[in-house]
Amino acid sequence: MNRSRLPLVTTLAVLLFFYLPILILVLNSFNASRFGSGWEGFTLDWYVRLFNERPVWMALRNTLIIAVTSTVSAMVLGTLAAFALHQFNSRLQRIHYSLIYTPLVVPDILMGMSLLVFFVAVGFKLGLMTIYLAHVTFCISYVAMVVLARLQDFDFSVIEASQDLGAGWWDTTWRILVPMLAPGIMAGGLLAFTLSIDDFVITFFVAGPGSTTLPIRIYSMIKHSRNMPIINALSTLLLVVTFLAVWSSQRLTKEKVR
Amino acid sequence: MMKKWLMGLAALGLVGMLTGCGASKPVLNVYTWADYIKPELLTRFENEFKCRVVIDTFDSNEAMYAKLKAGATGYDIIMPSSYMVKTMYRQNMIQNLDHNKLPNIANVDPEYLKIAIDKKMEHSVPYMLTNTGLAYLGSKLGEVEPSWSMLDREDIKGHATMLNDMRETIGAALKYLGYSLNTTNEQELAEARDIVIRWKKNLAKFENEQYKTGLASGEFYLVHGYSGDILQVMEDNEDIVFAIPQEGISISCDDFVIPVDAKQVDLAHAFINFFHDPEVAAENTDFVWYLCPNKAAYPLMSEDIRNDPAIFIDPEIRARSEVIDDIGDALAIYTRMWDQIKAAE
Repeated sequence: MNRSRLPLVTTLAVLLFFYLPILILVLNSFNASRFGSGWEGFTLDWYVRLFNERPVWMALRNTLIIAVTSTVSAMVLGTLAAFALHQFNSRLQRIHYSLIYTPLVVPDILMGMSLLVFFVAVGFKLGLMTIYLAHVTFCISYVAMVVLARLQDFDFSVIEASQDLGAGWWDTTWRILVPMLAPGIMAGGLLAFTLSIDDFVITFFVAGPGSTTLPIRIYSMIKHSRNMPIINALSTLLLVVTFLAVWSSQRLTKEKVR
Repeated sequence: MMKKWLMGLAALGLVGMLTGCGASKPVLNVYTWADYIKPELLTRFENEFKCRVVIDTFDSNEAMYAKLKAGATGYDIIMPSSYMVKTMYRQNMIQNLDHNKLPNIANVDPEYLKIAIDKKMEHSVPYMLTNTGLAYLGSKLGEVEPSWSMLDREDIKGHATMLNDMRETIGAALKYLGYSLNTTNEQELAEARDIVIRWKKNLAKFENEQYKTGLASGEFYLVHGYSGDILQVMEDNEDIVFAIPQEGISISCDDFVIPVDAKQVDLAHAFINFFHDPEVAAENTDFVWYLCPNKAAYPLMSEDIRNDPAIFIDPEIRARSEVIDDIGDALAIYTRMWDQIKAAE
C-alpha cells in the first residue's frame, strides 16, 4: 500500500509555521539593518547595546521575580484546590469549581481593570506585590485544571495500599501522592510560568511605580525607542536559556530513570 | 506541603522587601514612554537633587488614562501627548504648575506655544515635538516640491501608504485644501473625504507599522508617517527623502504634567525645570532625536539635528501646521467620513 505523504507534509508545515518566526528573530538579532527589511551584514552591536541597557535588565528582573514567585505559589494553591475539587462533591465545591474556572474565560482587560479597582478600593499600594497577587490569581486556575486532569486518572488504590502498610497521612502525601502528581504539578507550573512571564494587559493595570515588567517595557518601546532590535537580542538570549534549561532537565530525568 | 508553604512565604517576603526598600532618599516616580529620556541626564538629576528617579513606561495615552482614571496613583510626573493632557486637565487629574519654580520655561519656543493647546503652560510644559510628513524614495520620485499633492502622482500607484489614523489622514487632506485640521465644519470635512478617496486609488493600504519595513526594502515609494519612525528608516536606506508638505502638517507634543496626587511636587517641578535647562535640553534632543521646543537650546544642538528639515521644520511651514486637538462631539463627523473613506472603492 502506498503510504500517504500528507502526515509528513502537514508536520513539516506546522513545524515551519512554529519555528520560522523564531529563526527569523534570531537571525535579525545579528542583522545590521534596524527593520530587518533585508540582510545588511552581521553585527553583534545589538548585544553590546543590550548589555548597557539597564532599564531592560531591571524590567527582566521584575518579570522573573514575579514569574517565579507567582508560579510557586500557584503550584501550591492550585494543587490544593484541585485536590479539594476532586475529593469532595458538595455544592460548595461546585461553586469552588466555577470560581477556579472563571479566570480562564474572563477577558484579561476585565480582570486587569477589576483587580486595579479592587486594589485601589482597599488602599493597597501598587507595585510588584499587586502584580504578584494578580498573577497568582490567574495562574492558580491553570495549575488546578492540569492537576485536576491528572487526579482524574489517579489510581487511589495506591493510597489505600500505603495506608494498609502503615504509612501515616504525612508519609502518604509526601512519598506517594506528591511524587505521582509531580508531572501534573510541574506541567501546570510551566504553563503558569509562561503565562506570567508574557502577560501584558493585567500587569499593565496593576503595576505601580518601579514595577515595570519586560512586556510593558517592550510595548512602550514601539512608540519612541530607537533601540527596538535589542529586543531581538534579548529574546534570542532567553531562547538559549530556555532551551538549555529544557535540555538539562530532560537529561537529569533520563539519568534518574536509569 | 509544609515546605512549599514555607517557600511561598519566603517568596512573599522577597516581594515585600523589594517593594518597600530604598526609603532614605526621596523618590521621583516618572511615568513616560520607553527610551524617551537620556539615561545620563537622569543620573545627573539624581546627583544634583539627591534623589532617586524611577521610570515606568506606558504604551498608549489611552491605556495610561484608563489606568489612572481607575484610581492608580503613585506617579509624580507623567508625559502624555497634548490632546490627552487636555482631557486629563478637564477631569481634574493634573495640577496647575507653579511658574516660580520653573524659571527655565522662559526658554520655551514662543513660536511653538502659538500653536500649542496649553498656550500659557498653566498645567503642562512641552517636552518633545514630533510630526508627521511624507517620505519617498528619491530614485523613484526624483526632485519634487514637498506637497500633499504628491499623493496624486500616477507613478506611485499601488506603492504608497497613508496612516491608518482618522485624524492624521483626514487632517492631511484638510491641510491640502487649506483648512484647519481641527475643523468641525461638515462641508470642509466632506471635501477632505473626497480628496482622501481620490488618494486612496493610489494607495496600497492604510498602515501604521509595516510602512517602515516597506519603505526600507523599496516596496513602497511614498509613505505618510511619523518623523521619528522615518528618521530611523533613513539610517537603513539612504535613498529615502523626508518631505514636509508645504501646506502644513500635524505636530504632536508630549508634555510634562504633575498629577494632583503627586507626593514630590517640588521635586517634580525641579525635574521639569532641569529638562528645560538649555544645555540639558540640547543634549537630550541629540539623544532622543525629537525636538525639545527650547529656544535657548537650539544653538547648542548638534549640526545633524539643526540641519534636519524633519526635526527643524521651516518656520513658515510650522506656522501653517497645527497640533491635533480634542474636538469633542465633532469627532462623530470624522468617524462617519472615515467609514465612508474605508468603504469607498
